[in-house]
Amino acid sequence: MLRRVREFSGFALPGLFLYGVLVLVPIVWTVVLGFTDRNRFAAETNWVGLQQFQRLLEDDQFWLVLKNTFVVTAIVVVVPNVVGLALALLLNRETRLYRLLRAVFFTPVILSGIVVSVIWQSVLRPDGVLNAVLVDAGVTDAPRWLSDPGIALFSISGILCWQLLGFCVVVYLAGLNAVPQELYEAAIVDGAGWWRRFGSITWPMIASSVTINTVMLLISGFKVYEHILVLTNGGPGRNTTASIAFDVIEKGVRGDRIGFAAAEATIMLGIIVLLSAVVLRLLQRREVNL
Amino acid sequence: MRSRLEVLRPIAAIALAAVFFFPIYIVVMGMLKPADKIQSSPLGLPLQPTGENLGAVLGRSDGLFWSALLNSVQITVLSVVLLTLLSAMLAHYLVRSHALWTKPAMLVLLAGLMIPPAVILQPVTQVLGAAGLMNSVVGVVASNVAYYLPFGVFVFSGFVGTVPVEIEEAASIDGASRFRLFWQVVFPIMRPAAASVMIFLGVWVWNDFLTPLIILGPEAGTTVTVGVYRSVGEYSTNFGTLYAFSFLASLPVLLFFVALQKQFVAGLTAGSVK
Repeated sequence: MLRRVREFSGFALPGLFLYGVLVLVPIVWTVVLGFTDRNRFAAETNWVGLQQFQRLLEDDQFWLVLKNTFVVTAIVVVVPNVVGLALALLLNRETRLYRLLRAVFFTPVILSGIVVSVIWQSVLRPDGVLNAVLVDAGVTDAPRWLSDPGIALFSISGILCWQLLGFCVVVYLAGLNAVPQELYEAAIVDGAGWWRRFGSITWPMIASSVTINTVMLLISGFKVYEHILVLTNGGPGRNTTASIAFDVIEKGVRGDRIGFAAAEATIMLGIIVLLSAVVLRLLQRREVNL
Repeated sequence: MRSRLEVLRPIAAIALAAVFFFPIYIVVMGMLKPADKIQSSPLGLPLQPTGENLGAVLGRSDGLFWSALLNSVQITVLSVVLLTLLSAMLAHYLVRSHALWTKPAMLVLLAGLMIPPAVILQPVTQVLGAAGLMNSVVGVVASNVAYYLPFGVFVFSGFVGTVPVEIEEAASIDGASRFRLFWQVVFPIMRPAAASVMIFLGVWVWNDFLTPLIILGPEAGTTVTVGVYRSVGEYSTNFGTLYAFSFLASLPVLLFFVALQKQFVAGLTAGSVK
């Protein structure tokens, strides 16, 4: 018995303790705070029941940041997945050239979101490189990529796609490498064309790569924060590019409306749990069916 | 037909990679140009490269870059070492133990993979504040270890299964304690998993922005990533210096990537082809 206690406290306790105190307790704490009117500058905190949630659901700004988050997440889940697979098929050769090009596409993956935002700001600001090129090409009123409310959210989504693309390429390349070559040889003997081979062999065989990429992109898109902070600070205007994570942090962590932000964070938590469960279930069913 | 497509492959691949790399090219070249050239010829090569932007960052009178670098190195090294040790031991314990609570515990841990930092950050500052760890490197390390523990456990637990139970049983019959057994027999077998955990967490922790911004706060200095953010406002008219700061902040990770490229890819793909 003593030995088992000693093993538990040596192997499992340190990690479980930190995880409990700095992840599990804060999750519960956030949910509880969402039922209060806690404010950094108010002396007392009162239990207000569902009032914060009610205010949120009646707040147009909440629905706006929620919509923005879903737009970014949808673009980020689809584009790097599709383009990443196409690029993986293009780069699926084992020579030095292709290894170098893979490294090129992977580089933004290892840069921080802040640095990626600085890089793209140099390209997209009104007098930046892209507009200089457009003006030289004869475009008279070049788009304001980060300050036009109709464009800015798509610019941010595009930048996230650029950063995450290399991850998808590498995961798909590994998936493609694991497909037995005999399958292709047999299919060619049977007279199957490129599309037929892709649809009947490649696509089903890389199912687990699709799962990994989709889940990673979903989580990355849903929690987008740094890019918005540097590139638009939520603007132009009010919240036109703010995400739900951005709103929670600005209001609750850097701002003073702790209770209100906690209710918003609780909704965020509910959505991510629901989304992950649905997506994992759907994608794994496809893997099992093989 | 087929061979004509094969001729196009390298051309298409190089062209796409060039377009993709273009923004990075602008920043690296801009860093080597004097301020007026960044604006007047952003696309051109720096014909007379200057080190003044890099020099301006490295030689700041407040020493911001160097103090930020020291913070980043301390936070990254401590976090990664602790995470590797704790998650390897926890994963081994949870997979091998027959107790009833370990399966649910594993599920609760893996659920943590999906929690966005924004959801828990406010209470985390309260917990760290109560423990007297706000505005300290130790506070950032503690919060990193807790937050990234699920990832480490996830990777190691996939690997524990590949260690033959017979080896562990044989060693324990010989009277080895579980600690000795783990460090001398099991952990060496899990070295590839340890490599990918360390590579990933190293990059993530180094690039992390929100946690050091809030927990370290301005009182205890910054990390290099937060330093880049602070420079965005400061150098809003001097892009060359901002580019130089961004480059220097990313340089350690880039060198790490160039040196360990094979392991990077192996680590990334270890889980994806299973």
